[in-house]
Amino acid sequence: MKTKRLIIYSLGFSVALGLSSCEDFLDLEPISQETSDTAYQTASQIEGALTGTYESFQSSQYYAWDFVVYQDIRSDNAYAGGDNAEIFTADKLTVTTTDTRVYSAWSSIYNAILKANTVLEKAPLVTDVSLTEERRAQILGEAAFLRAYHYFTLVKLFGGVPLILEPTSSTDPAETDVPRNTEEEVYAQIIADLEYALDNRLPDSYGSDASVNKARATKGAANALLAAVYAQMPNRDYNKVLQYADAVINSPAGYTLLTNYDYLFDGNHYNNSESIMEVQYLGGNEGSWAPQMHLPPSLSGDTWRKFTTPSHDLANAFDAEEDAVRKNATIFWEEAPWADEYWGNAVGSEIPFAYKWRNAMGWASTDRPYIFRLGDIILLKAEALNELNRITEAATEVNKIRLRVNLDGITATSQEQMRGVILKERRLELALEGRRWDDLVRYGQAIEVMNSLNEVDLRTGTATNYNATQADLLLPIPQQEINRNPTLTQNPL
Amino acid sequence: MQSKSMHRLGKFSLTLAFVCLYVSGEAKSISDSGNTLVTKHKVEQSFAVRSLKETLQELRNIYGIQFSYASNVASDLPLQVPENLTGATQVEQLLKRILTPSGLKFKKVNNVYIISKDEKTIPVKAVGYQVPAAASNLENTSRVADITVTGRVTDENGEGLPGVTILLKGTAVGTATDFSGNYSLNVPDGAGTLVVSFIGYQTQEVAINNQTSLNITLSPDAKALAEVVVIGYGTQEKKDITGSVAVVDAEAFENRPNNMVANLIQGQAAGVQVQSTSGKPSAGLSIRIRGTNSINSSSEPLYVVDGVPTTDTRSLNPADIESISVLKDASSAAIYGAQGANGVVLITTKRGKEGKPRFDFSTYRGFSTVWNTLPVLNAEQYRDLMTELGYNTNWSQYTENTDWQKEVFQKGTSQNYQLSFSGKNNGTSYYVSGGWVQQEGAVRSAEMDRYSFKVNLDQEVNKWLKLGTSIGVTRYHDVDVTDNTNVNSGGVILGVLTTPPVIGIYNADGTTFTSNPFQNWENPISSTDAADRGYRNNRIIGNLYGEVEFLPGLKFRSNFGLDSNSDIYDYFLDPYSTSYGRAMMGIGRNTTNYNTYFIWDNTVSYNKEIGKHNFSALVGTIAQKWRWESAGVETRSFISDAITTPNAGSQLITATASKSEKTNASAIGRITYDFADKYLLTANFRADASSNFGPGKRWGYFPSFSAGWRVSEESFLSGLPVINDLKLRAGWGIVGNDQIGNYAYFGTVSSGANYPIGGAAQPGSYPASIQNNDLKWEESEQTNVGLDISVLNSRITFTADAYLKNTRDLLLNAPLPRSTGYDNAVQNVGQLQNKGLEFQLTTRNFVNDFKWDTDLNISFNRNKVVDIVGQELYYANVSSRGEVSLVREGLPLGTFYGYTWGGVDPETGMGYYVDRNGESTFTPTAEDRTIIGNANPDFIYGITNNLSYKNFGLNIFLQGSQGNDVFNATRIETEGMTDPKNQSIAVLNRWRAVGDITDIPKAVVGSTANSLTSTRFIEDGSYLRAKAITLSYNLPATLLSKVRANNLRLYVTGENLFTITKYSGFDPEVNAYGSSNTTQGIDFGTYPQTRNLIFGLNLSF
Repeated sequence: MKTKRLIIYSLGFSVALGLSSCEDFLDLEPISQETSDTAYQTASQIEGALTGTYESFQSSQYYAWDFVVYQDIRSDNAYAGGDNAEIFTADKLTVTTTDTRVYSAWSSIYNAILKANTVLEKAPLVTDVSLTEERRAQILGEAAFLRAYHYFTLVKLFGGVPLILEPTSSTDPAETDVPRNTEEEVYAQIIADLEYALDNRLPDSYGSDASVNKARATKGAANALLAAVYAQMPNRDYNKVLQYADAVINSPAGYTLLTNYDYLFDGNHYNNSESIMEVQYLGGNEGSWAPQMHLPPSLSGDTWRKFTTPSHDLANAFDAEEDAVRKNATIFWEEAPWADEYWGNAVGSEIPFAYKWRNAMGWASTDRPYIFRLGDIILLKAEALNELNRITEAATEVNKIRLRVNLDGITATSQEQMRGVILKERRLELALEGRRWDDLVRYGQAIEVMNSLNEVDLRTGTATNYNATQADLLLPIPQQEINRNPTLTQNPL
Repeated sequence: MQSKSMHRLGKFSLTLAFVCLYVSGEAKSISDSGNTLVTKHKVEQSFAVRSLKETLQELRNIYGIQFSYASNVASDLPLQVPENLTGATQVEQLLKRILTPSGLKFKKVNNVYIISKDEKTIPVKAVGYQVPAAASNLENTSRVADITVTGRVTDENGEGLPGVTILLKGTAVGTATDFSGNYSLNVPDGAGTLVVSFIGYQTQEVAINNQTSLNITLSPDAKALAEVVVIGYGTQEKKDITGSVAVVDAEAFENRPNNMVANLIQGQAAGVQVQSTSGKPSAGLSIRIRGTNSINSSSEPLYVVDGVPTTDTRSLNPADIESISVLKDASSAAIYGAQGANGVVLITTKRGKEGKPRFDFSTYRGFSTVWNTLPVLNAEQYRDLMTELGYNTNWSQYTENTDWQKEVFQKGTSQNYQLSFSGKNNGTSYYVSGGWVQQEGAVRSAEMDRYSFKVNLDQEVNKWLKLGTSIGVTRYHDVDVTDNTNVNSGGVILGVLTTPPVIGIYNADGTTFTSNPFQNWENPISSTDAADRGYRNNRIIGNLYGEVEFLPGLKFRSNFGLDSNSDIYDYFLDPYSTSYGRAMMGIGRNTTNYNTYFIWDNTVSYNKEIGKHNFSALVGTIAQKWRWESAGVETRSFISDAITTPNAGSQLITATASKSEKTNASAIGRITYDFADKYLLTANFRADASSNFGPGKRWGYFPSFSAGWRVSEESFLSGLPVINDLKLRAGWGIVGNDQIGNYAYFGTVSSGANYPIGGAAQPGSYPASIQNNDLKWEESEQTNVGLDISVLNSRITFTADAYLKNTRDLLLNAPLPRSTGYDNAVQNVGQLQNKGLEFQLTTRNFVNDFKWDTDLNISFNRNKVVDIVGQELYYANVSSRGEVSLVREGLPLGTFYGYTWGGVDPETGMGYYVDRNGESTFTPTAEDRTIIGNANPDFIYGITNNLSYKNFGLNIFLQGSQGNDVFNATRIETEGMTDPKNQSIAVLNRWRAVGDITDIPKAVVGSTANSLTSTRFIEDGSYLRAKAITLSYNLPATLLSKVRANNLRLYVTGENLFTITKYSGFDPEVNAYGSSNTTQGIDFGTYPQTRNLIFGLNLSF
């Protein structure tokens, strides 16, 4: 009976002990995650939040390569390839309201905005003394730049979108269901963010390391974005375009055109002097899978039909200009083990491949998209000068670009003719870099250009009819998003 | 004359004594081993005089033994009885010692101790038998008797049964058998019928037919014995249960081979829907008890294996299972509070039984095939279609004629071996088993195998302490086949349908796989063969318990359970045979998970019987903790395929590890009360705290009440002998659900958003979820009413249940506008309702040499989304054509959403649709989508027929579902005609020329306009299938005795031998989205159910 009592007492004791520690037992904190209460307290944590914001350039499918789909494939530069029905609809200007790629772009870009909003909200609250005020200001400037950049992407794709400027903290529909702002309001916010970033926050450079200076937002990047914004927005201000383009060109950061155009893309000149900002890839687990989507079997190592096929119209544009340097830097020709409906409707035809990324590296490439490079800004400056009726000066700028690819300089005749020259020059200079659709829209030529294309589908022997209308200038607001936020209105379809 | 008649009277009275009502003790035993739990106790030595009745009642209470005795023998016979009856080592010795001096003896028949007068011994003390009041009447009727029928009543083994009641039908004339089973009865004439009844045996009626000698053999009536059901934290007699509990015992599933636990339940219990979402050997089954209860939180039931809760039952060996109880309603599941919202499946494994060691060996070998093939275009038809689509190639290179279904579907095999030995002696019971099952699927490369070991031990340490353990160790392995996706993504099943026949398996080089002539979709063999892959799981699940009995009826039990499992997934794609592999230069992946779980529960229970009042109470505490750990590594760039582990890859792609935890703490209580077995009450209470919720909302409180009324015990029904049992039940309760993800209430910030700055990746973070301190338990309030009735000597038993379940404060991972930057956030919003009816009917149609039992169950469930704060949720984007599943208020989960197909325009060949205004259109917009189908069946049912004749047995198990729609998305791929995929022969009817009247539109390359998600792809998924038919033969005893075996059974089972369905796909029993709550009934190249033929043998000795 003694043992029995002993057992009873020890059981009773352990039960009592168990109950007293109950709340501790239940108070668990995540092991492999931080919580919003503790994740933004130190200097290194806020740096981490900012780094996470930059990471959207890699994790967003839009910034990884879909910008090529919606700028170059959608326009006259390229056809859709591969086997993805939605890329074909982008090519044919028949994107549906339920398109998942469009929804993915919308979602991932807004996710990037959430990250930027988080930094903008949390950085001022960090009390860690190791965060200098200079660095705090830079962090705020970088986050503001990134938010502006993403809203610029959205407003170009969709027109006016909901402006969300603080991290969402509640699931209350009153907070989450934000209606669309107007295009003008979005542009105003972009400009406000960039002016904030330039207000003694962003530096010209972060020291001498190009792999930092081209990774982070700088004054140069903010000025480049402002130049692009003032050129693209509905109520354009070409004086501002000129002002900010000049700010880039004359930046203490010392941006210069590379002498060899091919160096921009050959994979041996990352973070070069022409680059203002570029998405950083290192290969491996910091690699880009996008080049694999483009490169031919001999370079990609696989035999999939590729997703981007440069168009006859683009190839013809290079040929008409006898622009061999840029053509060869943009397009690679190879006999493909599949039939192509535009280039050769039989297996083994020679067809062109997008070539501005050149290293597939097993879906983990080091190749980068440029966020901004000087060549683009010089042409923007030319555009501004022309619109300000400084045609000769505009021609001078264009010729800087033509000269390095061994083309003759042009001489200005009329403002109107110069517009055509600049648009064409931008096309040849920036083909497959994700600029074309915006340029066509900005020049008011998208509908006309698309409808006058003569791209013959060899399977049917008839030219593809793009039927471009005003409604095709913008993508539809994703129906999935309208389902979640009924306050949104659809774009004209 | 006087003396003779007096003598006759006296003799008659004596006989009559046995005729009187037999008082049956209440069984407290769990099984026929129950009485053996105590056989080795020590007898205490001090004696007292007590009445027999009192003594037997006490023995019954202590040891849970059942007694049967004539009431007059029992009531006041004084016995010399030990003071303390507890602790008897040999109950039978004790009984002998008590009874013999009084001229009584006992016999154990079928688990019941029958006490009777021992004719051979002279009682020490004279016993004054009292003649019951009825005797005088009987005497009168017996006077007119003119013939005497004599004979012997024996059991199934030919042994005489004492105390069997024999009544002349329609009269009060009767007698009882003596100790050897002999009887003698005077009847008026030879035309009557004898009704022979005995507790534990099936009542028989025998016509006298003028015979004077009638020997009768009774067969045991297993069902009439008190059936004990395992319930949460205890057991209960079936007759006392007031909730809704379905029991599937070994009897129901031993008849056919099974690899998975869920198979045992399918079609056996009303209200339990077991969905085989695929026919893979490795496929888990999805179980819904009374409908889908949640939208985002899990709707799978909780499994409790010998007291250890788990969710993964793939590693359990069905051969080790003794019985399964399914707790369906809140009043029975509420004791599991937090985890009981979706019902609870209690699994009890086998334990050793009294007797000499028993060996059981079983084995089977099976063959499986895909029972259905779908015809596709041949080479010529494919070429025609491609040409029509505008695809051009040098066709002379493509001369093969490959039947991909033939190449990929194969004859699967399975084999199973199982050996166990068990027994009980000296207070130790043991069950030890080992098993191995191995399967190769009917689809190339799919396989599964499992080794399992099981040890169950119980030890009665002394009269108040009992210890025991159950340990199961398994090693599980499978190789999966990619299904539920199109050939573009490596889907094998859609691959066999859409890969054109014109290509062979390998290119001319003999090592690389061929692909579609127009697009590099590699053939399905590349998906089955190219990658080395496999999942392995090692698991230990077990518990250790101690039980202390302080006082009779007052017990403390402490149970510590553990579930520890580790699994590894390995994947290697060689660097040469596939396009993807070449691009990556080989891929090596290794993912490991290590999960541990423990539960510690402490309960105190008390049982008390005061007169007709029976009372029991249970209180306890439970602590549970889960810990998950996972790590993964992936590398690329391999020199060759010689080394398949990631160490050989030069490029590191992923290296990660993470951990998480969850805890629950609970307090439970239960009170049951019954009065005279007539009025039954049960109340449960559980308070549950979960670490998933914030400090203020952590605790949830889950009460339940239920009541039963055994109408058959009422005097007004006792005159109706046709009703053996009739019970009305009603219950109400609330159960909770916290299965929404760990740390759910926290606003979490995740890491891994790393970005290279300065030439090296810098660590980056991102906000992953929104803080929600108000997050709390999802609650399911359930009401159940039921009826159990058993009539005609229990030949017919019927159970009906009606229920209403309202799940509120749904833990909804509600979608947020993506403009917030988040995809969704867990919120307590909305309400979901399930209501339904369930019926279970068991009939014993024939009970003699030819036996035929039928079990039929049928369930009707209606599910409705009552409230999700006006939102609409869309799921299942199949084939990039938009979502097909809609969750909307007022509609059930599993609603299909899409366009209304109009037909094919004879002029253009284009498909047209009906828009929201009822007008036809070629270009419907998103707003024209409407409700196009419902994946929920009107009802599901199962019918089991058990037939046997002598040594032959036949078990026919049919199972079906009626009124459910299937969205056959496979046909979008095989009839879409938009790209160079091969198509089904249905497209031979496609529109080709103006004026063609057909329902298949024209082929248009790159256009989905003709194959939008519409009513065109909705099909009736109703089916009735012969799930299993088993023919078995038990070797006769004469042969068995020569080999010293107890039992040898040979059988052959056919599974899915036939299926009656209008469904046009491979198999109607599919869901591409597995056990999803919201997306059901979608077929998108799902691995089909297979037809299996299995030969097996069971041997015990």
